[in-house]
Amino acid sequence: MSFEVELPALGESVVEGMVAQWLVAVGDRVEVDQPLVEVTTDKVDAELPSPVAGVVEALLVAEGETVPVGAALVRIDEDGRQAAATGETSAAREAGDAARSAPVPESSRQATPLARRVAAEHGVDVESVQGSGARQRVLRDDVERAAQQVPAVSAPPATPAPAPRTRPAAAPYSLQPGDELIPLTPLRRLVAEHMVFSKQTSPHVGTVAEVDMSGVARVRDSQKRAFQNTHGFALSYLPFILHATVRALREHPRLNASMLEDAIVEKRALNVGIAVETEKGLVVPVVRDADRLSLAGLASAVEDLATRARTKKLSPDELRGGTFTVSNPGRHGNLYGFAIINQPQVAILRMGEIVKRTVVRELEGEDVIVVRPIMHLALSYDHRVVDGAPANAFLFRIRELLEEAEFDL
Amino acid sequence: MGKLLVEDWGLVPYADALQRQEAALEERRRGERPDTLFLLEHPPVLTLGRGSRAENLLASPESLRARGIEVFEARRGGDVTYHGPGQLVGYPVLDLAARNERDLHGYLRSLEEVLVGAVARLGIRARTLSGCTGVFVGEGEARPGGFPRKLASIGVGARGWVTWHGFALNVDLQPGAFDDIVPCGLQGVEMTSLARELPGGQHEGLQSRVREVVRDAFIARWG
Repeated sequence: MSFEVELPALGESVVEGMVAQWLVAVGDRVEVDQPLVEVTTDKVDAELPSPVAGVVEALLVAEGETVPVGAALVRIDEDGRQAAATGETSAAREAGDAARSAPVPESSRQATPLARRVAAEHGVDVESVQGSGARQRVLRDDVERAAQQVPAVSAPPATPAPAPRTRPAAAPYSLQPGDELIPLTPLRRLVAEHMVFSKQTSPHVGTVAEVDMSGVARVRDSQKRAFQNTHGFALSYLPFILHATVRALREHPRLNASMLEDAIVEKRALNVGIAVETEKGLVVPVVRDADRLSLAGLASAVEDLATRARTKKLSPDELRGGTFTVSNPGRHGNLYGFAIINQPQVAILRMGEIVKRTVVRELEGEDVIVVRPIMHLALSYDHRVVDGAPANAFLFRIRELLEEAEFDL
Repeated sequence: MGKLLVEDWGLVPYADALQRQEAALEERRRGERPDTLFLLEHPPVLTLGRGSRAENLLASPESLRARGIEVFEARRGGDVTYHGPGQLVGYPVLDLAARNERDLHGYLRSLEEVLVGAVARLGIRARTLSGCTGVFVGEGEARPGGFPRKLASIGVGARGWVTWHGFALNVDLQPGAFDDIVPCGLQGVEMTSLARELPGGQHEGLQSRVREVVRDAFIARWG
């Protein structure tokens, strides 16, 4: 019998915890009450004692990973058989992995259920495979090794019978030799579900503005050194975009809104989410009351949130309550693209790369070609709530503010 | 006798205190000891909690050791902090399950409240700061450049529901004690002490008065 130890509710306001350190390893024998793992949440480091005695079968979460309360952390084999070899525990793990798939007919040959499934998908006869597990049990690795040696004629058919799934939404797929399976982390699953939910909820429409960033670049260049000296970090373009966006949002409250059952709510609070890429994926910390912050205040808030997002120091509260989002995928080769709206907001602004381009300007009554730093700003908006004209008016107001570049630090 | 035992250990090196603390933790888990508050001071030491980031330690461990300051990794939450003479350290070893208080963040909030209440009896108006564990003095909020002054740091550990580690209340620190670190990873936070916050005439017997009010406040909450 296997027992899964879950992350308990460590406190009323605790929704997740980070696995800081495993205190046991796969194959270890553990006693009741023996600490298994250290979980960190805010200023608390909690060691979780084992509720059962047995042998550690699998660690289900990597160190450094943050998981929600209720997530399974470790599987313990309560029958308490000491693992004879690592092959045995690995076989046990495979048994768990395959538990979700359909049963495969048993045969005389010892093989794990996962190995049998992979063998079926590869068209490999499991009876013919040399097993490397305990008591020569056939493991998945053995099957994959054998699959690569199978001659072309007996390769899997072009349209293999779809493998049964518990998640019918996912397209069936047969593992091919060399494929890599990456299990979904809780964050990845959440992101995936949110993206689908948003696209299903809001009819997205996109519009793009080409913005001449000369004015902003001038202000930034003139303030760069003083800013670095005073604040200890570099002044980026993002705070300028935020500043202009926040002002435009004040003038166009329909973009700072949500849709309710039978009403639209234009929100008083102006909390702007900043999409930040971290190693673990995308997170969107929120700058609260962004309209009350100066340019320097926005810059400090962004620096603080982005740093803590990357070091995973954000509290869950700092990820909530956004009323509008700015996405800055930045870096190179990004002309423009349309982001998916962060529900229940109604619009998201995505910054393109700032690149020098030739543009036409009128100079002393004559058209001339000049070189200017240009950025494309792409707005995705929810057409249930916002129509084209107001969306464009909002976006072009941001452009106007950026091109006027009247910024006080 | 109440439900909370208070033991005063005096000045104990961090490593020794850690060992004694863990022994007490295990005794509590086996039911061989009542809930206990250990009060003590440490010789100069920097400890790194589980949330520590290297950039918050501003000097190398080698240069710190050369100046007699030790560096330890502790199984508690939070970032890097300094302990030293003139700071009252408290390690409450409490079985929260036995008290039906199974809420570790709630426990952090309780520690804050107890300390705010304790220093109030010395005439200090301290406060908590939303989103930032610890005890603070003065106006301000949790953003760079806007922090109030920090009077006490909190970082706890728990094995099951039995707590260890705890708080460090700055009583009368040598100036510059926190210069080697970004305390608790709060960029721009200024550390303060009771001695700094109290008018000059009120420093008489401060160390023993602090122990008294802290002890009383803990007994009032958990005794």
